[in-house]
Amino acid sequence: MILCPHCGYKNLEGVLFCEECGQNLKGGNAVLPTKQLDQAANELAAKATWGTARFGQDASIIMHIRDMPSPVIIQPAKKTILGRADMNSPQKPDIDLSPYGALDKGVSRIHAAIMRNEDTLTLVDMGSANGTHLNGQRLVPDQPRILRDGDEIRLGKLVAHIYFK
Amino acid sequence: MAVTSLDPYTTLGVPKDASTEEIKAAYRRVARRLHPDVNQNNPGAGVQFQDVTVAYELLIDSERRRTYDMQALRRHGGEGYYFSLRVTPSKRAIVPLPEPQVVYLLAEILPDPRAREENLKRESRLNLTLVLDHSNSMNGTRLDKVKVAAHQIIDQLSEGDILSVVTFNDRAEVIIPATPVDNKNALKAKISMMNASGGTEIFKGLSAGVDQNRRYLGPRLVNHVVLLTDGNTFGDQDNCIELARKAAEQGISISAMGLGQEWNDEFLDQLASTTGGTSSYINSASAVVKFLNNHVRNLSNAFAERVRLSIAPDPDVRLESAFKLLPHPQPLTVDEAYLQLGSLQANRSIAVLLQVQLPANLPLGFRSVARLVAQGDILVNQNQQYQSLSDISLEVNENPPPEDPPPVILDALGKLTLYRMQERAQEALASGDVKEATRRLENLATRLLAMGEEELAHQARAEARRVAHTSNLSDAGRKTLKYQTRFLLLGPSNEDSSL
Repeated sequence: MILCPHCGYKNLEGVLFCEECGQNLKGGNAVLPTKQLDQAANELAAKATWGTARFGQDASIIMHIRDMPSPVIIQPAKKTILGRADMNSPQKPDIDLSPYGALDKGVSRIHAAIMRNEDTLTLVDMGSANGTHLNGQRLVPDQPRILRDGDEIRLGKLVAHIYFK
Repeated sequence: MAVTSLDPYTTLGVPKDASTEEIKAAYRRVARRLHPDVNQNNPGAGVQFQDVTVAYELLIDSERRRTYDMQALRRHGGEGYYFSLRVTPSKRAIVPLPEPQVVYLLAEILPDPRAREENLKRESRLNLTLVLDHSNSMNGTRLDKVKVAAHQIIDQLSEGDILSVVTFNDRAEVIIPATPVDNKNALKAKISMMNASGGTEIFKGLSAGVDQNRRYLGPRLVNHVVLLTDGNTFGDQDNCIELARKAAEQGISISAMGLGQEWNDEFLDQLASTTGGTSSYINSASAVVKFLNNHVRNLSNAFAERVRLSIAPDPDVRLESAFKLLPHPQPLTVDEAYLQLGSLQANRSIAVLLQVQLPANLPLGFRSVARLVAQGDILVNQNQQYQSLSDISLEVNENPPPEDPPPVILDALGKLTLYRMQERAQEALASGDVKEATRRLENLATRLLAMGEEELAHQARAEARRVAHTSNLSDAGRKTLKYQTRFLLLGPSNEDSSL
């Protein structure tokens, strides 16, 4: 029995190249030099993982806010600001979350934004007081993250699920 | 069958002056190894057993033996050409182990060195049949290129060569009946009139083609059918294979060329290897011309035709796989009595790599592993049938001297491993194991990259991704991986001559 030093496959005695991974079992380097496949392959990788992140031309976002009976439907523009309208503030968000208890849940006036790119969406925290979470992970302000179908976002204590339609 | 060419002394492994007792003992020894009762899964042994019996019956009969000896003397007076069989094992001494072990055998059939120079003057005569697909899908550039290729082939042929051309879609038409080539322009004009229509039914074209080829079938000729198609045939594949088998028995070899993506590679591979021909993937129409021309040039270089190898492993040894490395890489099926190898060219040898498995707990000492017999018809010889025999034995030793596997085997196997990897990936995929297939393709990509085959590595990687997401390979990717990894076996230096 010869154990392949590269993949651990058990080859019969006398086999010269691992039948599993092609490793030369007579000498030959078990550790291959790492080589980077160039651009073409990487682009392909990006395309392949899209699936759920793809946001088509005519698609819209359905935002289910926890404990609320009906969802909010958003037709995202290039930049759609989520926040809380306030009489004292000159800036108004595109989507006002006041009716959903935004004040009690600590949503900032200008809390976060959904950015629309060619065929993906990103979520960006606009420097909110209580932070924006994407799938349980807190976003660093001003650093966009890809938004996918089925993601959970949290603005302060306001939890919502995002679906694409 | 091959009685006349068979040297009974070599077959039995006895000296020319062997006594009757020695002959009897030798027969018992060889027959024990080759007897059909102990070799039921081994058709190669069956045919060799017959040869041995024939040899024994000849030598044991003193009258016939004397006649044979006298004839042999006379035969050796003439200047017959020969080919030789050389077998190199991956190791000559093995350690006894409590588990089975693998040994590789490289079998090379080498043409007579004298043929290399002389063959330049005397080209073998061709009996060539082109079977050309002119279904709808061939419309445009493809058909145009096929015409150009056919024209060039006609230009290449010399007087005395025989050509026939069959075109087929869902029916077959003989546009040039088998005839010695004389008026080349008239032949070309007939080719030019081809146009594309209809579906693809390979059997009709192929049977008409084999039929034409048979008309001039001759022992002094290279009898060859080239099938060129770009489509898949449905329902008649088994008939085609059966037809090919019969054609091979009569001495006709078939090569299959698939153009584009839609054809069935497994089918064409089988069709070709049944007859000792080759199968190739031509990915673009523009490559057709070069491809066909090289193919025909190689044919006209033939030194021996209908070359085949029978392999009789010892009863406890298992022949696991066989792969033709040279002159054109081609997987071979091991479940037939003979491995059909096609033609032996005057300037290139045929090489076949065999993998055999030896049982566990071998007793110490020398032991035989297999007997290989190469047969073929040497075109220029008066008495054409020729055969060469090789008995392979190994030493089983507790402390064998350290030895490295011969570089030729190592090199060939390294590349063959890549081909096997893509094959295994496809097997995994066929059995529905997507994860396994993906992993194997990724492994393949890694190995290809390590070998500096970047383009192919990309392809393997891309296909691995495709498999992971769609559970399918792309048609083009599948064929590229298969035929390109097969092609690696030729090495860069051979690239041109082998196309």
